[in-house]
Amino acid sequence: MEYFSGFTPEWKITFGQMMVLSTIAILIFLYGMYLNLKKWSYGSEGYGLEPSNGNVLAFIKTFIIQLGQASHAPHAQPLWKVIILDILLQRRIWRKHPIRWFMHMAIFVGWMTLFLLSVAMFVVELMHLAGINVDPMAFRESAQWAFHWFSILLTVGVLIAIFRRIFIPKIREATIAYDTILLAGLTLIIVTGFVANGIRIDQVWGLGIDPFYAPIVALFHSVISLLFCIAYIPFSKYIHVIATPLALIANKGGE
Amino acid sequence: MTKEQPSVNTQNLTAVQLMELDACTRCGQCDEWCPTYEGSGYEPGISPRFKVRRWKEYIDRSFGFRAQLFGPKEFTDEELQQFNDDLYHCTTCGRCATNCESGMNLVELWESLRANLVKRGNGPVGKQGLFPKLIGEYKNPYMKDQEARLDWVPKDVEIEDKAEIVYYTGCTAGYNQLAVAIGTARILNKLGIKFTMLGEDEWCCGSALIRTGQAHIDDNPKKLARHNVDAIVEKGAKRVVMACSGCFRAATIDWPRQLGEELPFEVLHMTEFLAELIDEGKINWEKSIDKKVTYHDPCHLGRHIGVFEAPRKVLSDIPGIELVEMNEVKDKQRCCGAGGGVKAGLPDLALSVGTARVKDALEVNADILSSACPFCKRNLSDGRDELNASDLEVEDVVILSARALDLSVEPDPEEPQEETEEQNNEA
Repeated sequence: MEYFSGFTPEWKITFGQMMVLSTIAILIFLYGMYLNLKKWSYGSEGYGLEPSNGNVLAFIKTFIIQLGQASHAPHAQPLWKVIILDILLQRRIWRKHPIRWFMHMAIFVGWMTLFLLSVAMFVVELMHLAGINVDPMAFRESAQWAFHWFSILLTVGVLIAIFRRIFIPKIREATIAYDTILLAGLTLIIVTGFVANGIRIDQVWGLGIDPFYAPIVALFHSVISLLFCIAYIPFSKYIHVIATPLALIANKGGE
Repeated sequence: MTKEQPSVNTQNLTAVQLMELDACTRCGQCDEWCPTYEGSGYEPGISPRFKVRRWKEYIDRSFGFRAQLFGPKEFTDEELQQFNDDLYHCTTCGRCATNCESGMNLVELWESLRANLVKRGNGPVGKQGLFPKLIGEYKNPYMKDQEARLDWVPKDVEIEDKAEIVYYTGCTAGYNQLAVAIGTARILNKLGIKFTMLGEDEWCCGSALIRTGQAHIDDNPKKLARHNVDAIVEKGAKRVVMACSGCFRAATIDWPRQLGEELPFEVLHMTEFLAELIDEGKINWEKSIDKKVTYHDPCHLGRHIGVFEAPRKVLSDIPGIELVEMNEVKDKQRCCGAGGGVKAGLPDLALSVGTARVKDALEVNADILSSACPFCKRNLSDGRDELNASDLEVEDVVILSARALDLSVEPDPEEPQEETEEQNNEA
């Protein structure tokens, strides 16, 4: 076992597996998004108009038209402000509840950074395989601190979310399976990630598991991550990571 | 169970609105702020979050990936009828949208869903169903004669035949809450503003039809907007002044949308017009109103259009007035409870929400609870009466302005005001 992504001395097997799994995950994601676009496209292209027939272009066209329309809303924001303040910095949550904002930002920043680091690791491995003079081991070691701390940030965010769902009665009573699946998926990814990393670097969160099993645990973590991080997005509450920014942009930051 | 045709359709819902259903993170902010959810005693069905969730389920079951692969899943008419009834427990105040962390345009969603369900045969509720017939036939919701549009005008008020400024009275002020209309006209006269009116050519603004999802019936709102715009242009107007926030919202947002064109004149609320005149130093108040006044932002004027400061500027400028703010104001303002057809369709709910707002005013020990909308004034007055808070005066900013300009709002200054105001329960 050499690399966190599951790249082992028998790399032809695990790397191949990862490529296949990644491709499947992306294909499921794309198909799911096509179905969602089709669902959205059953709506009309403007207020008071007849519904469209489900052609996916209808949504794209409606979105672009709405984007170009002047808003009557008193709080309409320019696009750059919506992207930076409302989407990336999640200003609307900050205004309502700073603790929940921290929770959301911890999950958002932790999740996205780990995702991007994993993609970077994968790219470095691909470059290495292509004969480009890069050292995957050196890259992984240099990124180790980032993997570690952003994993902790993500964990803190998820723990706050779980605490709120369990111990705050109002939130507990309003929780439905739609919410629970999202949190359960995140928790599973975090736990398998920590265990896989713990086995590899021989830390206590490796649960004392023999390093021999590190590749398979890492592979399992990667599969779970690909399923929840990519493939399951269009079919679950994870869709909000796409739909919420789109809604904010379409409504110019909201009312 | 599956069947060929989905149980719901997407009539009146745009593709972006269907996408917005998936944007809901179920944070619950809409529930936290919804005045009718609170006013209903937290009935689960009234929860905006639950409404979004239910409609998302209907759409998913009808058009989602399972439906696309295996056919739509049926649900009962009773379930949809219950959803419809819950949907109308909403004043379309927009507090949910202002506080939505996902930036959903919820007012538009509620109105679109209402239109969808009216077309399906589920909506509207209560007396709201009379609006299309009444407004279509009488051009106002009160079954009044159009020729009586200017019957309220006192002999001393001077109205031009043509002028650059039109005062669009609105059905409620023109037929029922005459003091607002009389006050507006006398203020304009006193300030030397030459204005004209549409008379029997003034038709209902159409707001009640749009808010209750009945805009498509006989295309009434479009006809009303077309007629009003043409009549205003015919008068040579460059600016239209309105003292009713419902009409103001309709003219500002709904008329251009109905007609698919920008209006060839500027639309102002009377409080904006007065604030402008204050800035120009053209108002000399003649009387002091030594009262503690609080201001309730009408949803249609404040949250929907963004006019928050003008009414406060007017009140602050009147000598003697001590303006105090309630806890929830401006874009966080609690609705009066009358809008969205609730006063006509669900009067008990309207009263419950109205009393909550009156309590806000009583908490700051206000002598006068002012607003800038005839509907708000009616429902807040009912709330005040329900609480037996007879010491609290509920009054429109326009009427307070008239009072400060030493103007009567009686048709005949000798008559007591209360006799001129009929109770309006049609809002």
